[in-house]
Amino acid sequence: MSTSTLSRPKPENLRKSLSRTNNNLSGWAFATPFLVFFLIFLVWPILHGFYMSLTGQSLTGANDGLIGFANYAEALADADMWHSLGNTLYFTVISTVPLVLVALVMAALLNVGLPAQWLWRLSYFAPYLLASTVVSLFFTWMYNPQLGLINEFLTGIGLPRVAWLNDPNVAMWAIVIATLWWTVGFNFLLYLAAMQNIPAQHYEAASLDGAGAWRQFFSITLPQLTPTTVMIVLLQILASLKIFDQVYQMTAGGPAGSTRPVVQYIFETGFTGYRLGYSAAISYIFFGLIVVVSVMQFVITRRRSA
Amino acid sequence: MKQFESLTGKQLSRRQLLTGSALLGGGLLATGLTGCGGAAQAAAVQDIDFWHLLSGGDGIKMQAMINSANQANPGFKVHPTVLAWGPPYYTKLAMASAGGRPPEVAIMHASRVPGYAPGGLIDPWDLDLLAENGVTASDFAPRIWEKSQYNGKVFSIALDSHPFIMFYNTDVARKAGVLGSNGQLQEVHSPEEFKAMALEMQKVTKAHGLSFGYLGSGSQMWRLFYTLYKQHGVDMVLTPGQPMKVDRDAAIESLEFMASLFDDTIAAQAGDISTGIAEFARGGSGMLFSGVWELPTMKKAGIPVDAATIPTLYGTPASYADSHSFVLPRQLSVNEDNRRDVYKFVTDVLKGSLSWAEAGHIPGYQPVVQSTAYRELTPQIHYANAADIIDYDPEAWFSGSGSDWQTYFAENVQNVLLGRDKASVGWDAFEQRTNTLLSRPNPV
Repeated sequence: MSTSTLSRPKPENLRKSLSRTNNNLSGWAFATPFLVFFLIFLVWPILHGFYMSLTGQSLTGANDGLIGFANYAEALADADMWHSLGNTLYFTVISTVPLVLVALVMAALLNVGLPAQWLWRLSYFAPYLLASTVVSLFFTWMYNPQLGLINEFLTGIGLPRVAWLNDPNVAMWAIVIATLWWTVGFNFLLYLAAMQNIPAQHYEAASLDGAGAWRQFFSITLPQLTPTTVMIVLLQILASLKIFDQVYQMTAGGPAGSTRPVVQYIFETGFTGYRLGYSAAISYIFFGLIVVVSVMQFVITRRRSA
Repeated sequence: MKQFESLTGKQLSRRQLLTGSALLGGGLLATGLTGCGGAAQAAAVQDIDFWHLLSGGDGIKMQAMINSANQANPGFKVHPTVLAWGPPYYTKLAMASAGGRPPEVAIMHASRVPGYAPGGLIDPWDLDLLAENGVTASDFAPRIWEKSQYNGKVFSIALDSHPFIMFYNTDVARKAGVLGSNGQLQEVHSPEEFKAMALEMQKVTKAHGLSFGYLGSGSQMWRLFYTLYKQHGVDMVLTPGQPMKVDRDAAIESLEFMASLFDDTIAAQAGDISTGIAEFARGGSGMLFSGVWELPTMKKAGIPVDAATIPTLYGTPASYADSHSFVLPRQLSVNEDNRRDVYKFVTDVLKGSLSWAEAGHIPGYQPVVQSTAYRELTPQIHYANAADIIDYDPEAWFSGSGSDWQTYFAENVQNVLLGRDKASVGWDAFEQRTNTLLSRPNPV
């Protein structure tokens, strides 16, 4: 029958399909190590963590067994959870804006063609290489209310002392300033690389048409940087949401809980408060929030690129 | 090692080599598993893992005590692991015990035991075995021995008590005319008398009368607060499932008094611990409220320093304190030989704790406190009476030194001390926070 002849593969087709199988096999072989790690260190913990959030598991080994969504109900009614979540969001908003804008300005300044480029690049990027402990110690000393360099400078020019890490209205900003100094170099580097990839012809053509430096910046540089900006903003939001180290080391969440981020609250409830199940539930609420932010970001980017 | 000989005697095939390695591995594993308790190994040196959280001068003293215990006992070798004070230490200790891989012995603040004993993370001490090593209940001051028990069993053996005390600069005090005929600071009996004395000292130093750094430190605020609160002769009781039992008036009065000290004349309004210590060490004030552990720093600073318990301002002598205590983290299976060595090690350290007293602490072991050598230590002997008036944190799974509860205290009262909030507002918020903790499921 014609159908049987049709279904029999021609020799070259057979070779192709065999080589496709071989390709698939070698593909899997290359991917396996990654997949194994992915399953063991990401998928399994995610599933196990979710299971734990449904139990009364304690760090001491005691376990009340499955308790349904009781931990979630408790977390949603927990004023401290909302407060720490609010602190995290507040930090994310007030840190992302300067971390993106300052990086852009720094890159633009350098892109103009200052002499000794390597020195500028090094000094802008170098703080990023420091460990969070070093940065925190450094700024804790600088912020010391009585002996610190910053207050010394302020009183020197006739201004009052500021309780940098001890005033609930100021502490979060003090941490933002430290974080800005520490991490802005990474965004700066991304911006600089993107700026140097913009074809020189665009600027040539613009200047022939009589466009000045500002006009060129707003009509060529900024639009060309859009994909980079979108990526930097996304990376920065995710990094800022994970804030923990510098806060823990500089203020331990104080004063009056004004800087305690949700990651610290998760750490406190789970590790020093022993309630692993409850802490896992808060983690999943936070995880949900991050997923929402990422999806929103994804939708906005897709709409823009479409 | 029989497998190994049979394999080396001839040319090996790949399969034989693999089988041999597997057997050898299995053999070594088996020896390893039985090695510690095996009869053949009894003469070997036992390793004892010991975790503690003592750093700086305390860490050096502890290392010296470990070294001398090791030298005196060739049968075992103690390997210390030093971890950072506070949550890092207690978290790791709890996790190691829960996971079945704890050290054989560890140091813990006596106030943290109620968070560890009920969950089965630590084992009780065997009093008979202690007595065999020459240590009994009568060797400890009553308050300290009482604290070492939980539910009628002894869960911790106190190396010391380290109360919150008052250091003073004898030069400044003499110039201010507040030294008594015995060369020690005059006694004061009320908040007003204390402030008047501090103001006299301020006239001498021209800076402050008193140093007390507290910013950002819940422990530090709590130590002074609890001393003053307990001086009212009242209790504070934390029972899970019930609201905190507390004398609100005494708490608010204590906070108000504390806040009134930070007026930039008696004491700096906003100072952290290091600023306070540095100020006193350079003669910028006449008095310092701090823990006994600060004594070596002050001696090193070369100022004329003496010390006493915090003056009794509200009628009842009291002093916040805690004890560095030895605990036995629960093992998956107890190696009896090893545990006997642990008892030997701990009792040796207790008996040699005179060197610990040099670091400022009051030894828990009374024969040392009563020895002539200790009686000659000044200013240690001037505050040794603290052991009779010390008060540990109210017991709960969440209280104690370096606990989050002390951090919550700071969160709610720091603004009171800075003069931004009323004492009643700060206190009520802390009480509410504590009640929330008490209302939650008890994880231990």
